[in-house]
Amino acid sequence: MEDMNRRMRELERRSRAAFDESVGSLDAATRSRLAKARAVALAELRQRRLRWSSSWIPAGAAAAAAVVAVMLWQGERATAPGEPALAAFEDLDLVAGAEDLDMFEEDGDFYAWAADEAAGDVG
Amino acid sequence: MPEESLTRSATLCAPVAWERGRRNMREAALDSERALERFLAGIERRAFRIAKLALRDQAEAEDAVQDAMIRLVRKYAGRPAEQWRPLFYRILQNRITDSQRRQKVRRAVMAWRPAAGADPEAPDPVESAVDPDGGPDAALEGEELLARIEGALEGLPGRQREAFLFRNFEGMDVAQTAIAMGCSEGSVKTHYFRALRALQEVLGQWKT
Repeated sequence: MEDMNRRMRELERRSRAAFDESVGSLDAATRSRLAKARAVALAELRQRRLRWSSSWIPAGAAAAAAVVAVMLWQGERATAPGEPALAAFEDLDLVAGAEDLDMFEEDGDFYAWAADEAAGDVG
Repeated sequence: MPEESLTRSATLCAPVAWERGRRNMREAALDSERALERFLAGIERRAFRIAKLALRDQAEAEDAVQDAMIRLVRKYAGRPAEQWRPLFYRILQNRITDSQRRQKVRRAVMAWRPAAGADPEAPDPVESAVDPDGGPDAALEGEELLARIEGALEGLPGRQREAFLFRNFEGMDVAQTAIAMGCSEGSVKTHYFRALRALQEVLGQWKT
């Protein structure tokens, strides 16, 4: 029994070594085709993500605009009617448009700073 | 007016938060893509050798690996990275089985034209025969040894061959092999033990 186990372990060891050697000695053309296959698979992944995000970005933008609108509406109810509410609606106009949302990608830090500044005014 | 400032602040903060979330998602997607690329780069050569062992055809093995990569990306890219290997091999195994069925049909059709149906890569039956003196000698290594093992593997039942390829060549543990083969861990152990015993009988005693 022990002898059989020893022979089996030897079979495992030598066959694995032979396999590893064959993997290590794959020709350049095969390696290149495999790398190309990998690139195709990853391109598929990127394409899927692009499709996914392009289908969700308009929905996300609409949801963000809705949140902002509700906040403005609440703000308007809390303040006296007139100029402040109008100013708030000007802000809504600025942030709700799709092109304005794109600006955040380029200058997010500025808007983060502006938000902090505004928060500072409250305190 | 505090309420007014609060409102103006909120109107600015909401899109900023939304944009930050978007940026984080984009970074997470890039991280996951890089992890997937590392995984595929690390596995592709072994996967190809396994596919070629099973299919005995270079082009079909390459196609099988590419298909398995694409299917993994399509269906399981979002799964935790430690699940990728067994899932990938499960997909590859299914693809190999499909190809083998097609090969069988092709061979049956080609049987009408025996000369054209001869497989140039088939192992030499004399070379693959059992050595009456006790099997492959210790000097047999590398490609030649692998060719003998390939010949012996061909004679094994499919499930035993899979268990041997995944457990021994790919080095997967019993749990991962069970996922790749779509069976229980107990079955993996049984198939693997039987494969080893059968190979031992076919290849003869390993001289050490």
